[in-house]
Amino acid sequence: MDIAELYTTAELAQIKLEDSEVESLGGEVSQMVAYFKKMMEVSVDALEPTTHAFIKKNRLRPDTFHPSTLADDILEQSPDLEDRFICIPNVL
Amino acid sequence: MTQQINWKETLADGGQKAYIAEVKKRDALVGSFLEFDPPRGKMARPQAEVQTTEELAGIPFAIKDNIALRNFKLTCGSKMLAHFVSPYSATAVEKILAAGGIPVGKTNMDEFGMGSSTDTSALGTTSNPWDLTKVAGGSSGGSAAAVAAGLVPFALGTDTGGSVRQPANFCGVYGLKPTYGAVSRYGLVAYASSLETIGVVAREIPYLEKVFNTIRDQDEKDNTTADWRDFSDPKEGEVTKIGVLTGSLGLDPGVAEAYAQVRQELLALGYEIVEMQLPMLDYAVPAYYTIATAEASANLARFNGIRYGHRPVYSENPEELVQKSRDEGFGAEVKLRILLGTYVLRSGFQDQFYLRAQKIRTALVRDFDKVFSQVDGFLLPVFPTQAFSHGDGGLDPFQQKVADKFTTTANLTGLPALAIPTGVSGGLPTGVQFMAPAFCEDRLFGLARRLKSNLTLGEPPEFPALYAGQEGRS
Repeated sequence: MDIAELYTTAELAQIKLEDSEVESLGGEVSQMVAYFKKMMEVSVDALEPTTHAFIKKNRLRPDTFHPSTLADDILEQSPDLEDRFICIPNVL
Repeated sequence: MTQQINWKETLADGGQKAYIAEVKKRDALVGSFLEFDPPRGKMARPQAEVQTTEELAGIPFAIKDNIALRNFKLTCGSKMLAHFVSPYSATAVEKILAAGGIPVGKTNMDEFGMGSSTDTSALGTTSNPWDLTKVAGGSSGGSAAAVAAGLVPFALGTDTGGSVRQPANFCGVYGLKPTYGAVSRYGLVAYASSLETIGVVAREIPYLEKVFNTIRDQDEKDNTTADWRDFSDPKEGEVTKIGVLTGSLGLDPGVAEAYAQVRQELLALGYEIVEMQLPMLDYAVPAYYTIATAEASANLARFNGIRYGHRPVYSENPEELVQKSRDEGFGAEVKLRILLGTYVLRSGFQDQFYLRAQKIRTALVRDFDKVFSQVDGFLLPVFPTQAFSHGDGGLDPFQQKVADKFTTTANLTGLPALAIPTGVSGGLPTGVQFMAPAFCEDRLFGLARRLKSNLTLGEPPEFPALYAGQEGRS
């Protein structure tokens, strides 16, 4: 994978590549992508894709109301809370 | 430890102090726990309305740190979640709580389950109780090491590409990867949703079986679960034919020897052996890593410093906040897999990689349909090597991935698999694994039980069993 492709992929993945990481991580990504190309040896023309081992169609649950008691506990996870409001970091 | 104790008494008022002291002494060497707090674990109660039993009453157990336990941290071995405390417990944990089990702590793991050594954990080092210079395997290395070191009789792990079976194999204990959908994934931090299952590590077969039967169930909180009883086929006594994977397997001598020995034992026990090959085996690993990294890149998008995870001290704008969070929060292996997953899902590359991998998955499913039309169980190695060394003396990250070829097949096909210890070679444990048709875990327990009587398993010399009251290992 060339450097430009690596940077584009990193941007899509929201990962900032440090200069020091480009060589090592870039090398490992290229090694794995080359390994993935081994899959080209197999003829897959007649095969349907398997997305899931056993479930062949989407499963839905009834759209019904269930009370949850977790709200306060989940709010407590926020690093900065004012009453029941989550304070977001100042990014201006 | 001067005398053996009964597991049921370890956390009773009279025994708790000695138990905690002994675990702390042992774990200072092994490093299996990230958080160890039996008094807090004793306070845990099932929150959901579940039927309570006495099946595991008073028995201590450990939980891999990507499975939620209320009021305990849920770090996934990552700086990203180093301070995250779970507000609820996973369904599998709730079921064990309802059966009377007592969680004593959370175990170390490769960061987000990505690795085969537990060395990618950002939060601690876990070593193999058989030889502290070796890795415990991964990614459920902490769970396997805790069980092997005699700290708990069983532990929960997760298996996405072999992450329960390989560390169990390295540490000389049993490791079950159940059928996909047999155990709810609610409360498991998602890595590769179509592949991963919660599994069990145990030193004795009865615990393995009891715990699996406790946690398996359909769960309305995980729509991929199925009612195991609707599909299971208890024809344990009728298991007569075992398929054995043959061909050029590339095993280290100790592993090859154990594999050949089990084959002989199966013959001696009266099983008919059918030699078999898997045409798709060489493509399982590239297909597995394509699918697993693709799913990981989507699942780990939520760790961005806003929705979840490490928040940087300062950032100029939202984009920088997200990037800094991920840059500072994730380790190198996680970044590598997110990059790979993003790449294989990019427009223009999807057909070449992701779609092709899913079609190879179909071909592998067909391979196994054929296998189980001819035999009742299937024997294959777990990993080509025994436990390797920490650091540069071991396998590099790429070699570790390629070595997943025997374990990833069960995840791609959703089939159950059980790693069983077979003995010791060169001071380190050896083992094999069996696979069975979907929902036929009972066959795997049966095979393990029958083989056990013909094997000498031993235990780590520095960490003899702490407890009595269970059938001993011969």
